[in-house]
Amino acid sequence: MSNGDQRSMIREAMQSIAQRKPGKSKLVYDKTKRTIVAVSEGVTTAKALNITADDADMFGVVTLSSGWLREKWPHLTKIGSIPVNFSSWDDGDALTQLELCIQGSGTQAPATLVFGQQQGSPPEGMVISITPTDKPTHRADVFVSPDNIAYRAELFESGEPAVDRREVVFADIEPQLDLRRAGILETTILKDRTVLCIGLGTGGAHVAVELAKSGVGHFMLVDRDRLSVGNVVRHPGGISQVGRAKVNVTRDLILEKNPNAQVDVHAVDVSFENREMIAGLVQAADLVVCGTDNRQSKLLINELCVSANKPAVYGGAFRRAYGGQILRVRPKESPCQQCFVSALPEEASDVEVSSQDDADAIAYSDRPVAVEPGLSLDVLPIATQLAKLALLELLADKSSTLNVLKRDFDAPWYLWLNRPEPGTQYAEMPPLSESRDEMTINRWYGIYFERDEQCPVCGDFLAGFAAAYGIDPSQLPALPEKD
Amino acid sequence: MTWTMTQRQRLAAEHQILQNEGFTQFGVYHYATYDSYNASGTATTSSGRNYQLFCIIPPGYPTERPSLYITDPKPLLNYHGAAISGLGVSHAMHTLEPHSAGWVQICHWRSARWHAGIVLQKVFLKAMLWLEAYEQHLATGRDLADFVGTMQEAA
Repeated sequence: MSNGDQRSMIREAMQSIAQRKPGKSKLVYDKTKRTIVAVSEGVTTAKALNITADDADMFGVVTLSSGWLREKWPHLTKIGSIPVNFSSWDDGDALTQLELCIQGSGTQAPATLVFGQQQGSPPEGMVISITPTDKPTHRADVFVSPDNIAYRAELFESGEPAVDRREVVFADIEPQLDLRRAGILETTILKDRTVLCIGLGTGGAHVAVELAKSGVGHFMLVDRDRLSVGNVVRHPGGISQVGRAKVNVTRDLILEKNPNAQVDVHAVDVSFENREMIAGLVQAADLVVCGTDNRQSKLLINELCVSANKPAVYGGAFRRAYGGQILRVRPKESPCQQCFVSALPEEASDVEVSSQDDADAIAYSDRPVAVEPGLSLDVLPIATQLAKLALLELLADKSSTLNVLKRDFDAPWYLWLNRPEPGTQYAEMPPLSESRDEMTINRWYGIYFERDEQCPVCGDFLAGFAAAYGIDPSQLPALPEKD
Repeated sequence: MTWTMTQRQRLAAEHQILQNEGFTQFGVYHYATYDSYNASGTATTSSGRNYQLFCIIPPGYPTERPSLYITDPKPLLNYHGAAISGLGVSHAMHTLEPHSAGWVQICHWRSARWHAGIVLQKVFLKAMLWLEAYEQHLATGRDLADFVGTMQEAA
């Protein structure tokens, strides 16, 4: 047994204990294997080492990108060595190859990747030696080369195995991420889907990131705002992102979760001035997720989506996020945002005023409007449900494990209440534990209402005018002209 | 700006609604030179005074809110003799941002309340209510808002 293999076996044994694997609670010297192995507590051996799980939690990790290595493989095998750079985290406890990092630690650690055992004098600093192995290929510390040979890697410093025993593992991003989603989500379908996310506040950004985690492959992000300090207590972006455009913050959050996603960013206002540009984005999308919290933008997006026959989901919190609502629009099939506003004007007007800009937009100079944002934890249930409805729309015509939810989520409008807010129609709701048939907090309610066949956006508005005002749409005279 | 057929049909219907509903002093007009649309006319209050109203039809109409201005008298003065346009966005006087020409903009619906189901006839109706309230303001010095209250949404 080579020294490298022996070190590897010891490392495995210690890791088994560190990971609290059942039946692996102490280390003994195995004479047949001539190395140290982990065994269960009940095994009698005079030579057992008294190493606890906490003692064994001592491995640093070096992570290499499998995709990058496959790409560089011909070069590495031909030249013999190539430089590689790492982002160093926690005083070197974790070294993550820069190619894997959307945002690095700020401290870099250079190394040299060597094919085979190092020959001659070792290079300065860290050296990672790649050598063949007979370990199973599914292991994280095994790399399968393009010519289908398994390799393992070992870290050396100054020509000697690294004293701090850092394990070298390989991150094969797409298969490893897909493995956690497969069976529930049809990742091959979602990979080809394009979602236009408009409005990247707390809820909108959360939805985008959830869709990225689920494997959606293409994003177009629209928001004009920058992340402010005040946003940080709610938004997925953190204090180190303050000042950046929310589209860029959200793009990085998406790429952290789905590094192969394609993300286009548009730091623009959702306004009638940008109508043509936004219409082009809607046309290119499979689904539109609207997280804006003002009526004009929602109605503009609604008009563009109906015109382009694109499904859309609109989500928002009520004032101070005492609850929230979601409207799902399938053009010409279900009520659109205009139908909603016409049928339920008060419900459609209950919005969270989460920023000074939002407040200023609805204030008079002699009557200011207070900024009353809700808590992140009250916004997230709405955003999470919005993401789920978005996935159902993206998988609508495909076989999916989520299809069973279609019977549960077939209403156009969804209502959620976080608390019985005083001053609202929900103030007198019974306690959660006492309610049988009445509304309570912490439940989703799917609510049905009819599409307006004479809706000015999705219906035959001329027929509506004919009925309401007695005009004959077929006999409308030309408008008077003026110079 | 290219108007869609749906927009042109809507504006033609809006003009017809004004005529059918007895608002014949108002109309929707096409300006061929610029291919733009406006709605305008003279409002006469119960006291017999005349006011010129001018409504700019925006490119995003009817989803986008149209702005309604009083173009005559100009300047439109308040009880104290000051130009109302100087108040800007005022809750007391129910006004929005004035036009660069100094015209007072009546707050018929805020953008946060506007939607495509609202017809121009209702916009002019609200303007006429505003003018009646304005004349009460001139007579008493009380805020215009005291007479019209908060304009509730009505589709």
